[in-house]
Amino acid sequence: MLLPVFTLKLRHKISPRMVAIGRYDGTHPCLAAATQAGKVFIHNPHTRNQHVSASRVFQSPLESDVSLLNINQAVSCLTAGVLNPELGYDALLVGTQTNLLAYDVYNNSDLFYREVADGANAIVLGTLGDISSPLAIIGGNCALQGFNHEGSDLFWTVTGDNVNSLALCDFDGDGKKELLVGSEDFDIRVFKEDEIVAEMTETETVTSLCPMYGSRFGYALSNGTVGVYDKTARYWRIKSKNHAMSIHAFDLNSDGVNELITGWSNGKVDARSDRTGEVIFKDNFSSAIAGVVEGDYRMDGHIQLICCSVDGEIRGYLPGMTEMRGNLMDTSVEQDLFRELSQKKQNLLLELRNYEENAKAELASPPNEADGHRGIIPANTRVHTKLSVCLRNETQAAHTELCISTSNDTIIRAVLIFAEGIFTGESHVVHPSIHNLSSSICIPIAPPKDVPVDLHLKAFVGYRSSTQFHVFELTRQLPRFSMYALTSLDPASEPISYVNFTIAERAQRVVVWLSQNFLLPEDTHIQNAPFQVCFTSLRNGGHLHIKIKLSGEITINTDDIDLAGDIIQSMASFFAIEDLQVEADFPVYFEELRKVLVKVDEYHSVHQKLSADMADHSNLIRSLLVGAEDARLMRDMKTMKSRYMELYDLNRDLLNGYKIRCNNHTELLGNLKAVNQAIQRAGRLQVGKPKNQVIAACRDAIRSNNINTLFKIMRVGTASS
Amino acid sequence: MDLILNRMDYLQVGVTSQKTMKLIPASRHRATQKVVIGDHDGVVTCFGMKKGEAAAVFKTLPGPKIARLELGGVLNTPQEKIFIAAASEIRGFTKRGKQFFSFETNLTESIKAMHISGSDLFLSASYIYNHYCDCKDQHYYLSGDKINDVICLPVERLSRITPVLACQDRVLRVLQGSDVMYEIEVPGPPTVLALHNGNGGDSGEDLLFGTSDGKLALFQITTSKPVHKWEIQNEKKRGGILCIDSFDIVGDGVKDLLVGRDDGMVEVYSFDNANEPVLRFDQMLSESVTSIQGGCVGKDSYDEIVVSTYSGWVTGLTTEPIHKESGPGEELKINQEMQNKISSLRNELEHLQYKVLQERENYQQSSQSSKAKSAVPSFGINDKFTLNKDDASYSLILEVQTAIDNVLIQSDVPIDLLDVDKNSAVVSFSSCDSESNDNFLLATYRCQANTTRLELKIRSIEGQYGTLQAYVTPRIQPKTCQVRQYHIKPLSLHQRTHFIDHDRPMNTLTLTGQFSFAEVHSWVVFCLPEVPEKPPAGECVTFYFQNTFLDTQLESTYRKGEGVFKSDNISTISILKDVLSKEATKRKINLNISYEINEVSVKHTLKLIHPKLEYQLLLAKKVQLIDALKELQIHEGNTNFLIPEYHCILEEADHLQEEYKKQPAHLERLYGMITDLFIDKFKFKGTNVKTKVPLLLEILDSYDQNALISFFDAA
Repeated sequence: MLLPVFTLKLRHKISPRMVAIGRYDGTHPCLAAATQAGKVFIHNPHTRNQHVSASRVFQSPLESDVSLLNINQAVSCLTAGVLNPELGYDALLVGTQTNLLAYDVYNNSDLFYREVADGANAIVLGTLGDISSPLAIIGGNCALQGFNHEGSDLFWTVTGDNVNSLALCDFDGDGKKELLVGSEDFDIRVFKEDEIVAEMTETETVTSLCPMYGSRFGYALSNGTVGVYDKTARYWRIKSKNHAMSIHAFDLNSDGVNELITGWSNGKVDARSDRTGEVIFKDNFSSAIAGVVEGDYRMDGHIQLICCSVDGEIRGYLPGMTEMRGNLMDTSVEQDLFRELSQKKQNLLLELRNYEENAKAELASPPNEADGHRGIIPANTRVHTKLSVCLRNETQAAHTELCISTSNDTIIRAVLIFAEGIFTGESHVVHPSIHNLSSSICIPIAPPKDVPVDLHLKAFVGYRSSTQFHVFELTRQLPRFSMYALTSLDPASEPISYVNFTIAERAQRVVVWLSQNFLLPEDTHIQNAPFQVCFTSLRNGGHLHIKIKLSGEITINTDDIDLAGDIIQSMASFFAIEDLQVEADFPVYFEELRKVLVKVDEYHSVHQKLSADMADHSNLIRSLLVGAEDARLMRDMKTMKSRYMELYDLNRDLLNGYKIRCNNHTELLGNLKAVNQAIQRAGRLQVGKPKNQVIAACRDAIRSNNINTLFKIMRVGTASS
Repeated sequence: MDLILNRMDYLQVGVTSQKTMKLIPASRHRATQKVVIGDHDGVVTCFGMKKGEAAAVFKTLPGPKIARLELGGVLNTPQEKIFIAAASEIRGFTKRGKQFFSFETNLTESIKAMHISGSDLFLSASYIYNHYCDCKDQHYYLSGDKINDVICLPVERLSRITPVLACQDRVLRVLQGSDVMYEIEVPGPPTVLALHNGNGGDSGEDLLFGTSDGKLALFQITTSKPVHKWEIQNEKKRGGILCIDSFDIVGDGVKDLLVGRDDGMVEVYSFDNANEPVLRFDQMLSESVTSIQGGCVGKDSYDEIVVSTYSGWVTGLTTEPIHKESGPGEELKINQEMQNKISSLRNELEHLQYKVLQERENYQQSSQSSKAKSAVPSFGINDKFTLNKDDASYSLILEVQTAIDNVLIQSDVPIDLLDVDKNSAVVSFSSCDSESNDNFLLATYRCQANTTRLELKIRSIEGQYGTLQAYVTPRIQPKTCQVRQYHIKPLSLHQRTHFIDHDRPMNTLTLTGQFSFAEVHSWVVFCLPEVPEKPPAGECVTFYFQNTFLDTQLESTYRKGEGVFKSDNISTISILKDVLSKEATKRKINLNISYEINEVSVKHTLKLIHPKLEYQLLLAKKVQLIDALKELQIHEGNTNFLIPEYHCILEEADHLQEEYKKQPAHLERLYGMITDLFIDKFKFKGTNVKTKVPLLLEILDSYDQNALISFFDAA
């Protein structure tokens, strides 16, 4: 049984996921964590520190070995580590929604303080790819930015959605670190510097990532899932009803391999084997876990695992000795094994008994309805499923329909569908009332995103009066583009936007791709190239035309740039195309983008003007205050009163100005996100090298504020020469 | 001294009922004892532990489900004869397994509880109690509600026969012959009875009992009246008590109290100098503890607590240390034993697996033929659906002998499912598509591996009634699921009580018409929980109920052709009126419903609600302030400048937050009930005041008792 080697109770709350340990003076590890009211506290138990009182840092009134750092803004991410290798000690990095501060705790000075328009939701410190100096990489609104110790921005790229988590990991095993980015669109993307080398789609917002060792990394989602990936393959995952607040890799059982340590929202901490996900250790806190970190907090040469709860409780654990043979829990392994085996035996015996009873029942009498009560059904009962597309009618919106039916007079009492990402929860239940029971059930399904989904069905089959049902378990795959219905050709409906590219594949193969990714009616027959097919989106009624010429040239007409991107990516992976350059034109979307860009400029200038106004006001305040105080000293109450009245008015103006600034800022953020997404979308229209080129070129164009070049790049699919 | 007990699993038999495992007394002190256990397959297994392995002494053939197992024998000799109750038969075995006794009782129902003392046999079925002496019928009693357990005070010490029945309607009935000597009201439905110290304590009259809501108490049953000695409340919200035993496990010469609960908790209480129980040890097993006894099984001279669980595990919590300090050799030996055990089990498993594979194939093959049937025998579900008095919510407990895969919860009434900390299953709420399907709630619980027990909490609304269904699918091939239904009654938050305050202003609802006693009883059963299904004996019956949420009361008195319901809460009367008229119409019975409304009762009910509402509002306000105050504390360092009230909040912050978390949506429920009261008051007057409800909510938002009362008067 592994017990904590130290326990501390700090009287400060700790904000979730914002805990870091650093040697801010080069020797003593100190714990830094964000707390309430826009403050960061630093716990330094090693030196009874001299009372420093500078602008930022002040002694905590509650505890002697805690000092507080005033940020004056809600902290959104925090980390510590070596930013400038020449300094020889760690820097503390604090991100907020507008700024990034690199702070030298030892000298009580700022290393740099940068404004970041996209905000900083997540931060990671380390070396990335070939960039020699350590970078503080922050992830914000669809954007990633990396700063070196001087605060210059050496790395910038965009990603699909708001970034929630970052990690550095040697993903492809080349000895250099790649950047893992988890974002709100459920994707984990891997950046080799600014090139995306892999993309994994998960089922919820990715809240945490952590490197394990080699190419293995752990992840956590907002729905309570944690798991481990090795490269693009998921090793294991588990789901809990609680949420994983923080994950960390640490070798707790001294077997030379890191375990995944998870801190949960219910105060549980567990360590799971990286291979199997089996729990090898657990402990409980009285409140939610805020962070899990590691460090030599006792300064005795041993690294401890340190877990912090939101209420300020901190426990440190030393890794178990090798003699414990990984047996960190208090029950003996053998006992558990014995119990598990006995349970297995019992289950097998039960199953055997089930078959025996079954055989007995079979001998008894021919099947009749009365058997139904006991859950007896004909043995040859089969359950069939059929997926089809349903167009809009009076009562229901257009949807994909799943039909489940039994092969005889048995009825389906209920159907449970477990599938990820297409229902509000993880499951959907259809339970008809007792009067509406029949041998078939049709279930409308409307997946919100174009992703292939496995539907795990459990159908309860029996008779009307049954109290016990047979459970038929089936799995059906919902194709990626199931929300598009094949419609008859109608040249008039052809959208003006299009993408155009050429692939070296036979038309027959394209037909195969079509039938695997769309729900085509059974009698569909597609003749040889050249051909044209036409689909209607069930979500918004938009049209999609796919044309193939003899030469292998494919034109896809759709107004939905995301859909075009999805189709190209899907085809590329199906045909194993490595590089593909695509010509594209989305006049409507581009026009919108142009407007957004104009707006961004406007908001920027408004922002500057407002800042200037604010500076003016603060000068005015100073003079008014001095004037008022003078008047008070002169006992000129009338003037003093009027000065204070003016001050009051000015204060109100300032408040109003602040509100405007806030609104302006959110608008700006929204538009910046749209711009970042546009670049990302343009990138998704291309495959392989052209993709990276387009993203890089678009970025340059935006930086140099050259809108026309931007659109040209997006259209042609290559950097303009 | 800390009590450290190590867990050892011995054997698994079939599913077991309450009180079906005993240890056979050993010839000398602290020698190893044999364990005898009866299961639902009707098999009695007797085994002892030899070198860490269970060695069977005997095992009987399967038969009807065994409900109880007791030891008996001639008084003042070792009690080592084994008696089992299965269906309506009692059978006796010697400790070698030879059947020497069989007695077919004349009971029509199967036996639920049994007590044996010398040649006296005390039996109870659901409602009937019978006393036999030498298999001759002596006494008989018909109880008003279900009998959960039966016991008799020690005859050898008291020289009188005093049987005690534990009845579901929260009453212990002390009998003399065929008559009730007196009744003892207890705080919850008693589930188990035991003699204190195993012999009735110093007086021989001390009786212990446990309730299904987890309370434990001791009474002295004197010839004239009961004397209350002590009671342990269930503050930690643990499960109901299923079994009690007395045994000196601590080793201080005083027998300790061993308690097993239906949430898998095993507890040991010792007695302090004042003879008050003190909790010394607790351990969580994963499933219901059906029987518990202290003794010595695993190794001689090491005392242990032996428990059996629902799925049939016999487990020892032993004082024997797992890791011996005597030397490395010893430990190796223990490991060796364990290794042997495991490897033999593995062999067995392999063999079984092969057999199962064959059978599976056969089963698959049979599914090809058109004549064959596919039947799967039902698996047992141990379920409990009870109202918790503390937070006026229902808890549903489902327990299956093998791991549960998933549970589908469906309800045709609006109810809320609350989160339970103990339950680790992943819940997912599904959208309830169309109204035509009568679904108000569809939720799936996907259980983690090895979950055999699932606990849910449900909040109902009075007046909305219907059925809750649970479809339980265990992880066993071939996959099947079973439905269990639970009724959410119209007055779901009411609980039976035995006393009410007659001085309260009451509203009366009177039913008259051509209906039989059984019919009116069935309506009461339909409307109210905790009423026995069977119509009680006699021509006229009175039941008292208490609203667990508001503490208002209801008195129902009915006979053939007449029913009178009195309550101080108008809403209760209103719900009854609606439901009864609906039921009567459905059955085409002509009912005359008349009511008498007492205006004062509304004010009275509001006054009853007042302290609860005020407390909740204050609590909500305080909790809101906590964060801000804490921030001030950090900023300013000391809090001397704060007013005492705020000081208080800061000091009690943790406690307040906990209290607040315990009662989610409490305030909303109170608001809802006040609104109902308001609407119902005017409904009886024939006016519809639904339009005024927003006004009422406004008044509630800035709550003041007088303003509320005057609003009720004025509107």
